[in-house]
Amino acid sequence: MKNYLKEERTIKQLTQVQLAEMVNVSRQTIISIETSRYIPSVLLSMKLANALGKKVEALFELEKSD
Amino acid sequence: MTFMTFLLPHRFKKLGAVIAPIGLVLWFSMQWGVVPRILSFVFGESTGGQNSSPYYLAHVIVTIISFFSFLGGVYFVTFSKEKIEDEMVQRTRLDSFQFAALVQIVFIIIGFLAMVLFKDPGMEGLMLFFIGVIFLFWLCFIGRFNYILHIKIK
Repeated sequence: MKNYLKEERTIKQLTQVQLAEMVNVSRQTIISIETSRYIPSVLLSMKLANALGKKVEALFELEKSD
Repeated sequence: MTFMTFLLPHRFKKLGAVIAPIGLVLWFSMQWGVVPRILSFVFGESTGGQNSSPYYLAHVIVTIISFFSFLGGVYFVTFSKEKIEDEMVQRTRLDSFQFAALVQIVFIIIGFLAMVLFKDPGMEGLMLFFIGVIFLFWLCFIGRFNYILHIKIK
């Protein structure tokens, strides 16, 4: 699954720590999602989308291999 | 979202990280005869069959303290929450348990094959093997979990 978390976070001028605090997760979790090491749950995906003012499908995108 | 409810508060992890190594070092010192030499210097030499001598009692107490502080420390480190306990941490914990179980199974298979093919280890060797099997699981879990969370992801 491809995600645009880093791009959207940069546009919003948020640090990883700030975004992590907004959705109540650790900075490591944000790093893991941004580097595609971890696929977040639906709940966290929605929280992230909400925090960045985007729709979930604008943040996450299925790839052919999924 | 529901998480494991029997995890200890985060401060126990720090406590465990302190007492587990101390217990381990103390236990090895007992096995290598360092602490018994100190005890015999303090309490005098143990006389054969005198199970109530101060040396013997001190020896037993130090052995129990070292072993259980190591066990307690490992328990605290393993079953304590992270500072921020979220779904990725939970997932990493689960993956680490699976990894540790896999390593343990491989170790058991290799150990038993070695016993069958090469040499009967005797009762003492077998006991040592099973103690090793138990500790291998916990050490693999702690090692992988903390490596992933605190070293790999920075």
